[in-house]
Amino acid sequence: MATAQAHPGGLALWLTTTDHKRIGLLYIWTAFGFFVLSGLLALVMRVELAQPGLQLVDNHTYNQLFTMHGTGMMFFFIVPMAIGLANYFVPLHIGAPDVAYPRLNALTYWLSLAGALVAFSGFFTATGAAAFGWTGYAPLSGATYSPGPGADLWIAGLILSGTAGILGAINFIATIFGLRAPGMRMFRMSLFAWNILVTSILILLTFPVLTAGLALLFIDRNLGGAFFDPAQGGDPILWQHLFWFFGHPEVYIAILPFFGIVTDIIPVFARKPVFGYRGFVLATMLIGAYSFTVWAHHMLTTGAVSVMFFSITSYLIAVPTGVKFFNWIATMWGGKLTFETPMLYCMGFLFMFLVGGVTGVFLASPPIDFAVHDTYYVVAHFHYTLFGGSVFALFAALYYWFPKMTGRRLSERLGKAQFWLMLAGFNLTFFPMHLLGLQGMPRRVADYAPRFAGLNLLITLGAFLLAAAIALFVINVWRSARAGERAGDDPWGGYTLEWTTSSPPPEHNFVALPPIRSERPAFDARNGGGGDG
Amino acid sequence: MIPPKRAAAAVLVVLTACAPEPAAAQGGAIDSLYRFFFVAAAVVFVVVSGLIGYSIVRFRRRPDDDGSLPPQTAHNVKLEVIWFALPTALVLVLIGVTFRTLGDVTERAERPLTIRTEAFQWGWRFDYGGGAVVVGLPEDPAEIVVPVGRPIAFELVSGDVVHAFYVPRFLNKLDVVPGRTNRLDITVTRPGSYEGYCAEFCGLLHDRMTFTVKAVPPEEFDAWLAELRGQGGDN
Repeated sequence: MATAQAHPGGLALWLTTTDHKRIGLLYIWTAFGFFVLSGLLALVMRVELAQPGLQLVDNHTYNQLFTMHGTGMMFFFIVPMAIGLANYFVPLHIGAPDVAYPRLNALTYWLSLAGALVAFSGFFTATGAAAFGWTGYAPLSGATYSPGPGADLWIAGLILSGTAGILGAINFIATIFGLRAPGMRMFRMSLFAWNILVTSILILLTFPVLTAGLALLFIDRNLGGAFFDPAQGGDPILWQHLFWFFGHPEVYIAILPFFGIVTDIIPVFARKPVFGYRGFVLATMLIGAYSFTVWAHHMLTTGAVSVMFFSITSYLIAVPTGVKFFNWIATMWGGKLTFETPMLYCMGFLFMFLVGGVTGVFLASPPIDFAVHDTYYVVAHFHYTLFGGSVFALFAALYYWFPKMTGRRLSERLGKAQFWLMLAGFNLTFFPMHLLGLQGMPRRVADYAPRFAGLNLLITLGAFLLAAAIALFVINVWRSARAGERAGDDPWGGYTLEWTTSSPPPEHNFVALPPIRSERPAFDARNGGGGDG
Repeated sequence: MIPPKRAAAAVLVVLTACAPEPAAAQGGAIDSLYRFFFVAAAVVFVVVSGLIGYSIVRFRRRPDDDGSLPPQTAHNVKLEVIWFALPTALVLVLIGVTFRTLGDVTERAERPLTIRTEAFQWGWRFDYGGGAVVVGLPEDPAEIVVPVGRPIAFELVSGDVVHAFYVPRFLNKLDVVPGRTNRLDITVTRPGSYEGYCAEFCGLLHDRMTFTVKAVPPEEFDAWLAELRGQGGDN
């Protein structure tokens, strides 16, 4: 028994691990699983919406599908995926042997997995899973209008995973401030590490607000509370404030880590340093700070908020994002660009996120928002930011870091085929939604007027292309993990410290660290010099 | 020969004709604002994506590359200040234009025709006063009649959950929040029959919470209303 405890192997190893890399992989695999699951829910929705009328599912099922699609993607895919990548690579980037609190780190993973399973377990109850949208608007989410355990399981699941997020944020902040290697000053950290720092601060300050809101909702539902019930003096608008005070920083939590990844990858494939390192850090901090001031732009049509204030703050947050675009372009300018898969996905990110950013400025204008709010226009907008932005950047990260995590490269040929298929499928799926929204098709509907039929059929076709692209990725991982080309320590000519250790890295990451004299220690080690003094 | 100005206007209409033609005065103001934004957005998109595309083509590594590093330029404070200022300036212009329109859209008429509009799971009840009431349910959606050219105030109330009053051709919507009375001012500018929806997800049959607004000349409306009052409503 004693020896088994000292050196657990196989399943026991994964269940008991406190190694940040293994926990990172657990997060990444789990998050990818929920990406596929939530994507399949969307695919069922698209089949239902292929033509007018109800063919495949009934209203109640459809309402569960879009609720759990949004919940799964936001809470159990994109954020845990970012946390997984951060788990694996932040310690490597700052030259640390692990995170500050390894056992707390293990706890966060298991809490977040439990949260996801609890929320999705609603599907196995008699009345089904939560069916009030991932935003859980009161009083629809109350006991009167959403009886049954599905809603309570949704609340419990979100509280569990939110708690995991808060503990994880504390861990990353402590790690970044406390465990940087000698020479790794704050202004020599990778942009990924910077973005994870700002993201962690956002999580730490906003997840507790969501948790409080969820606790109030639970009390309303089960213990006779009246926080959101107007019949008893409560206010449904209060829920919206609590939710969006979390919910808007949440979308930056879902994009900033991926901004960081793109900002670290583009310079490597341009063979230049990142342009405007300090500008990037400043822009990231500004986005983080502004993100606390824009929440009620989700509520411009409630008639209950100052549309002027929230409109101005929403416009202003476009500025630091615009600055990032110019810095990305300047990083490529005058370089010697090559387009291996990670760079290809970064280019997809730039074009697609640009569309999402531009339509976001439309929505910041209250009169335009009055016209298109809660229509498919908004659905198009946020999929361009979160799928066109975060998910394209995620694939850049997975193609870039797979060799470091496994020692083998993913197939470039399959990766490029996936890219073009995904680009076509993505645009075919989400671009027509702009038009549907402008023509007045409301979101979250199981059925629609016949005049919307043509575009909806097109969108469903696009969704299948998108699904095929994701399937290609799964095939690529399956084949490359066993038979992929050996990667060596540094297949890309990387700049950051993970490329100076073996692939995969040893248990405590580094046998020896190179001198850290700039934000490109691996580049300096290869080229013998560097340093900004 | 088509005059170039008219041709440019035609191109603009085609490019921006994604939204339906507005049927309300407030919607007209929103439509003009949307077109202005569309042009600004198109310029930004073409410039930025053009720069990205140009970089991809122009700075691609050549097959005969000698393997040397390109110039390691890492910053240029002057440039960075300029491209911080550019989007700031653009955004300030957009804020100005937005608030000029916002006043027109949200302005309240002095003596409107008031229609007390109650949204419920899953239908609408329109009360014109004096016993004139139109009620619609999913199997039999409401069809209301309104006068063209006369200001209307929809007083929006809900006794259950949050809904939203939305007529796409008005290019405008407002939530219906339990515990609050919201007011949406609309002046219909052209006669016709317009679909209406609930835009805020409100539970099981949200998608079937539709209604129709039929806009007719004022005299025709007055006759319709008098007849409805004579019947004591259709509920």
